[in-house]
Amino acid sequence: MAEPLTATAGNGSRAKSVDIYAPQWRNFLFVAPYLFIFAAFLVFPLFWGVWLSFHKADTFSSGRFIGFDNYVRLFRDGIFLQSIWNTFYFVFLTVPALALIGLFLALCLNRQTRSAAVLRTLFFSSSVLSVTIVTLIWRIVYIPDMGLLSMIYGFFGAKAPAFLSDPDLAMIGIAIATVWWCIGLPMMLFLSALQQIPQDIYEAAALDNANRWQTLRSITLPSIKRTFVLVVIIQIVFQFQLFGQAWLMTKGGPNNLTKPIVLYIYNTAFQRWDIGMGAAASEILFLLILVAAMAQFLLTRRKADA
Amino acid sequence: MTLRKLFFATISAAAVMMASPSFAATELQVQRFFGACDADFGKNTDVSKAVGECGIITSLINKFAADNPDIKVNVTTVEWPGYDQLTAQFASGDAPDIVTIHESALSDYQSKGLLMPLDDLLKTVGVTPDQFTDAAKQGATKDGKIYGLPLDNWTMLYHINMGLFKQAGLVNADGTPMLPKSPEELLAQAEQFKQKTGKPYFVQNLANETALFTRNLYTYLFQQNSDFFADPKKVKFNTPEAKKVVEMYKAIYDKDYTTKNLDYAGAINAFLAGEGGVQLNGTWVVGDYNAQSEKPGTALNKGGYAVYPYPQLFSGAHAQYADGHTWAVSKKDRTPEQTAAIGKFLKFFADNDFEWSRTGHLPAYKAVIDSAKFKALPHRDTIAAIATLGKPLPSQVQRQFAIQDIVGEEMSAAVSGQKPVDKALADMESRVNELLANL
Amino acid sequence: MASHSAEIRGRSFGDRLLFGLVILLALAMAGPVLYVIALSLKDNKELMVDPHSVFHMPYTIKNYIDTIGTSNVFSWVLNSFIVAGGLTVLTLILSSLAGYGFARLNFPGRDALFVIVLLGLAVPEQAVLIARHQIFSWLGLHNTYPGLILPGLSSAFGVFLMTQYFRAIPKELDEAAILDNASRFRVFWKVLLPLTVPAQATLGIFTFLGAWNDYFWPLISATKKEMFTLTVGIASTQQNFAQSQGIGFLMAQAVFAGAPILIIYLFFQKYIVTAVSGAAVR
Repeated sequence: MAEPLTATAGNGSRAKSVDIYAPQWRNFLFVAPYLFIFAAFLVFPLFWGVWLSFHKADTFSSGRFIGFDNYVRLFRDGIFLQSIWNTFYFVFLTVPALALIGLFLALCLNRQTRSAAVLRTLFFSSSVLSVTIVTLIWRIVYIPDMGLLSMIYGFFGAKAPAFLSDPDLAMIGIAIATVWWCIGLPMMLFLSALQQIPQDIYEAAALDNANRWQTLRSITLPSIKRTFVLVVIIQIVFQFQLFGQAWLMTKGGPNNLTKPIVLYIYNTAFQRWDIGMGAAASEILFLLILVAAMAQFLLTRRKADA
Repeated sequence: MTLRKLFFATISAAAVMMASPSFAATELQVQRFFGACDADFGKNTDVSKAVGECGIITSLINKFAADNPDIKVNVTTVEWPGYDQLTAQFASGDAPDIVTIHESALSDYQSKGLLMPLDDLLKTVGVTPDQFTDAAKQGATKDGKIYGLPLDNWTMLYHINMGLFKQAGLVNADGTPMLPKSPEELLAQAEQFKQKTGKPYFVQNLANETALFTRNLYTYLFQQNSDFFADPKKVKFNTPEAKKVVEMYKAIYDKDYTTKNLDYAGAINAFLAGEGGVQLNGTWVVGDYNAQSEKPGTALNKGGYAVYPYPQLFSGAHAQYADGHTWAVSKKDRTPEQTAAIGKFLKFFADNDFEWSRTGHLPAYKAVIDSAKFKALPHRDTIAAIATLGKPLPSQVQRQFAIQDIVGEEMSAAVSGQKPVDKALADMESRVNELLANL
Repeated sequence: MASHSAEIRGRSFGDRLLFGLVILLALAMAGPVLYVIALSLKDNKELMVDPHSVFHMPYTIKNYIDTIGTSNVFSWVLNSFIVAGGLTVLTLILSSLAGYGFARLNFPGRDALFVIVLLGLAVPEQAVLIARHQIFSWLGLHNTYPGLILPGLSSAFGVFLMTQYFRAIPKELDEAAILDNASRFRVFWKVLLPLTVPAQATLGIFTFLGAWNDYFWPLISATKKEMFTLTVGIASTQQNFAQSQGIGFLMAQAVFAGAPILIIYLFFQKYIVTAVSGAAVR
């Protein structure tokens, strides 16, 4: 993101200060503490996980090498394929909603009034709550008969939809709770992007008698395009790792329709004790996130070039 | 010289004082499910005042701690059934000393050598297997040794709102509820119930539920003599018998003879609020429901509460699925004091099994089940039969909780119409077999 | 903002529609929380008999008294503070050191190492969880504070952020100091570190919130109730909903659990907002 800056800073000073920037072993000491932790608790587990995924291993005994068997079993398992689909479906439900509602709120609340400040506080406040509190709140909203939703529907004499047990609604129910929980960050990011737009452009537009819609379309939106992409990518990567909401609200049901990949990993490794296959599923998750990260890299690259 | 002596004397005195509390109290890590209810029973040591699983287990442990000031009992309450956590604890070498384990799950941990055989320890405190009921002894014994102190045996029951049954005309001349004798009769009575009361016959917790489905299926497979686990490594679910059971529950679902979107707690609340005739729930709520029915103004107080075993709907064996709770002890290096403390704890629960049986569970001790005191508890006359009806899965079947999840998921999908019955049964069979083949 | 206020002045139909929509969304945000608070103020038995009683008197604070008397919620909150606070402090220290090292200093293999760290950004926590759980078992780190802190400390995000930030600081600043024979560490400590406070705030807040909300790792690592963090503790009470404790009690517990972080948020709102915005600008 800051590549242009890096480049200039690097080139500008190298020539005259070669002595300062000569490679020195003791400089390594600055990065050593972090690299140790990084190697021990991220790199090593990553490779250890790959090793496990080629083994028939359970929680209490590391087993024998079985090559790609765990992967073959995974892709023969309808539930695993279902969980991949569920994860994408969840991302599809939440990310556009988060981006669009976040943008909408930012546009509406980007003003220096007291009420706007209060509302900004309100919309960000849910983001600081733990996932377990969020799910507790939303289970109480959805619970039949005594939930908030059924109270509201009951007020109008209707029966509330069963958000957590209806096969068509369960994932939507989880998505709604998630949007409620996560809406703060996109809104904040958009707000700060909006404040970066130079005022004089707006003043010029006002002189041109541009109406609000035209201003929005030709000035505001183009100026925050980058932020929009940023928000979408952050949210894709984050929502892809869905676990807590699904586990605590539906346990992955009904009929595995709300079981995301991470929950599948949990089921396999910690409930069925099949560490090897759980590790194999983890590697698939890693590959999928890697693709998203590569897409991000290429996308931001292209933007920078253009 | 004297100064040095004084110095050492002070130091050692301080050391003794510092150390003595830890010598005095042997600490026991106890882990259990059955819920948390500290607000009501957190300090209660009068067990007779407690009601329900949570209240009684909490009070029993409080009583044990009060009786044994030299033992510090540190209780962790886990969400039911707690096996994810227990597995993680065993994996990390941090297992509790004493932990609740279902008889059906004992062999998972026992087969990995994680549990301590209890025969010798129990003998030292005077508890011998011949005191257990046959069902409890069978459930707690693996490879010829006792691996859990049995607490109870439990099964599922028909919990009946008699007020609604009267309204539906489903009461015999002698005042007992009219229960079906075949699947057809069940559907007919449910229809009659719905016509007369406008409410569903069944209150079931079907929302994201697996255990209830599975227990229902096992029970009616037993009643058709379907030996689906003839081979403990290979199950047969894709059978005409299983299809009959699933189709029966599907008919109940399709014809709105049951509540549909309730979770476990919701179903309890709905039943207590009088929103249906029969709740399918375990032995563990008998005590709670009976207490409710004695309170004026409640739905169960209006026409009464009755409780029966699952009706015999098929012509095979008279049986229904059963399981039991035990206290298991993790294998660990322990001081003699710690082992003795564990023995005392187990002995206490063996001695107080009557109190536990007030929950509605079947006692695990012959002396209790035969006692007049137990027989005099409310409703025990109608549910006494479960002592002979109860039938677990073969004990060699491993990962019974994981299997329960698979069976329940597939049956739920079939019952609610998300999958054709045949497909669901085929998937159920192949998924369970895939699991068992890869243990 | 001048032009904006000019826009607002004309209260058209469209304005009112937007205003209505925002208020609707605000209600959707606040409604569930208010409902939970209302439930927490009701007697459990009354709720069982009539759920609608939540909307009218009598209210009671009994559930809160019970929570204070019997619940473990305080120790959960404390654990969460220790874990999230510890992780934040350590992350700031390690990331700043490493960020300075990667951005300003040269040592053999620097660029290759930095690329490897960047690749670490793409590793989701869940992908290494199983292996990590085994490794922590070998090391006997489960059910300890280090066991809860170390995994988060390996995240590459902080190093990436700090490196970018150090690179953006003009080199002339530290070159002058180094030519004055100040040690590298002194330059880092006295000259550059004070300039990175905004980045530290951003990183600190994201790290703290991330650790505060983490659920999966504590779920499988903190299995003793003494070590439960807030997320795991609250979750452990949820499954037996209403069965034993009563809805009102559970809700009171949730309010207790949510309150500290909300209060912190309200107090430090300004900084948090600036910090979060800081992440977007770059």
